[in-house]
Amino acid sequence: MYHSLDIRLSASEGAVIRTLGLIERRGFSLGKCSISEAGSNGRSMQLTVASSRSGDLLKRQLQRLHDVHSVELKPAVSIQKSPGIRPINRRT
Amino acid sequence: MNPSKQLAPELLSGSQVLIEALERNGVKQIFGYPGGTIMPVYDALVGSTMKHYLCRHEQGAALAADAYGRVTRKAGVCMATSGPGATNLVTGIANAFMDSVPMVVITGQVPSALQGTDAFQEVDIFGITLPVVKHSYIVREIADIPRIVDEAFQLAENGRPGPVLIDLPKDISAGTGAAVHMPLAPLPAAPDPDASTLQAASDMLSKARRPLVIAGGGIAISNSVEAFRRFAERTAVPVTTTLKGLGIMPADAEGYVGMLGMHGNGAANHAVQNCDLLMVVGARFDDRATGHLAQFAPSARVIHIDIDAAEISKLRKADVAIVSELAPALDGIRPQHKANTGWRAQCAGWTREFAWRYDAPAKGIYAPKLLRDLSRVQPAGMITTCDVGQHQMWVAQHCSFDDPLQHLSSGGLGTMGYGLPAAIGAKVAKPEATVLCVSGDGSIMMNVQELATLKRYDIDVKILLFDNSALGLVRQWQEIFFDGNYSEVHLSDNPDFAGVARAFGIQARSISEPDEVSGALDWLLKSDGAAMLHVAIDSMENVWPLVPPGKPNHKMMRSNPDKAR
Repeated sequence: MYHSLDIRLSASEGAVIRTLGLIERRGFSLGKCSISEAGSNGRSMQLTVASSRSGDLLKRQLQRLHDVHSVELKPAVSIQKSPGIRPINRRT
Repeated sequence: MNPSKQLAPELLSGSQVLIEALERNGVKQIFGYPGGTIMPVYDALVGSTMKHYLCRHEQGAALAADAYGRVTRKAGVCMATSGPGATNLVTGIANAFMDSVPMVVITGQVPSALQGTDAFQEVDIFGITLPVVKHSYIVREIADIPRIVDEAFQLAENGRPGPVLIDLPKDISAGTGAAVHMPLAPLPAAPDPDASTLQAASDMLSKARRPLVIAGGGIAISNSVEAFRRFAERTAVPVTTTLKGLGIMPADAEGYVGMLGMHGNGAANHAVQNCDLLMVVGARFDDRATGHLAQFAPSARVIHIDIDAAEISKLRKADVAIVSELAPALDGIRPQHKANTGWRAQCAGWTREFAWRYDAPAKGIYAPKLLRDLSRVQPAGMITTCDVGQHQMWVAQHCSFDDPLQHLSSGGLGTMGYGLPAAIGAKVAKPEATVLCVSGDGSIMMNVQELATLKRYDIDVKILLFDNSALGLVRQWQEIFFDGNYSEVHLSDNPDFAGVARAFGIQARSISEPDEVSGALDWLLKSDGAAMLHVAIDSMENVWPLVPPGKPNHKMMRSNPDKAR
């Protein structure tokens, strides 16, 4: 299953690696990733991720991070398959 | 310190600003170990109102801070230097993370200009600990220290607690600057449980024929034990607890079926496999509790109550999810009637059928019976800490606790070496309590150096050391699941543990015969100051029951398949 995520996070040191690390550790492979500055003290991150696990659960896990301000999980139907990623198939 | 500093900020060292910030956050005790890059902080610590406990390994400091945090529900504080000091803290940080314990960790770091150059004693502790912290900081400006420290405590202690790390480069701690304390806005409170969801949960409980509650460690963490007991009495729903939930229900409470899981009570595991509604409160479906997940509670619908939304439907889909503080949710769930009497009678029947037996023909001292006997004579409010292994499971099975905070066990991470430093942290946090560390001959050696900490600060911890001359739980698994192919589990060349204790200045006794137990326990509990009772037990003793890995919880082994016990 592929998911598209739109994440707003703080510009704090480590915020990006903390967020990306969580995504991989929780069983999602990273595909497209684009990071840009957003506002005076923030960043915006657009990602495509793949996993057999629930995107909604990943969203709630990301929302636990103090650095993450908001997470938007886009419906899978609108996602372009990224050539570089295959879903991680992990038993839960 | 001088309040005028808050009005007209003067130049202070980063370390002074840190010490002030810790004091302002109510820190009374710190567990730590000095070294190169944290030396400016230790310099500023002299004259502080805080008492520093020098542990003899940074892991001991972190695990002591963990136990301090569990007992007080306020962040325990530990501190170490960069490099090996910091990496030695990691096990303690992970331990706190897995068991949702509030902790603030301060590490020295090489000067900012040297970071990223492989400097002496440089490690990226911020990066190393990312997976096991609730949040973390690298301090870049002295002016940020008051805010960072306040935030660290706020984050560590609120919501689902956890460890927060502050990495402090030496140019910041030794440099001078101005820092003004600005009070933080409080974190948004957890939402109240939604009325319609509470109604849905109440309706499900009303309709259930065979309801069961799993009470988890979150109930203790959120100080909701009384609310939970009110709920259990009002609804008469049978209750099982997780390892970290032990003590939420008195051991002999009506409707309490004991701990579930791999080494849980048969009554609990049969109740959970037969229930038609499972209400899970402050627990997270750990694999040691559920056994084979797909076959766990196969007929049950699930109500899951937790403050952490990320636990909902992580492993088992919740039919009704309540994300809130636990007490208001428990108070708000009101089924129309008490639980079905037939089901309650069935659970009571299992409780009788699977009651622990103490007549096993053990050779020598039978550890479960010793622990049961100890529970009968222990002083009120005694705190028991454990290490990890067979003795940990025997404590869970055979000791009784009036409150979950009386049982400190490394549940999530399973850290051998937790028990002794945890006992130190617990005794420092609660000096009026009797504190007992139950350990094993494998585990005690993981942090045996902390005997020196007991002696140094005259910390009155009683140590009950079970010695089966083996890594017992691994040996048990090798016996059962690896055809008795014993690999690296024999510890028959153990040191003379009583002699080791005495060398550290701790009084000690050794026993090996059943008729010595009663007098020795009396000696241990009444001894003046720290003491160790070393108990030699049968190296082939096993923990029963056992749910084999990959099996559902009701497929418990109750004894060795090949041998009559």
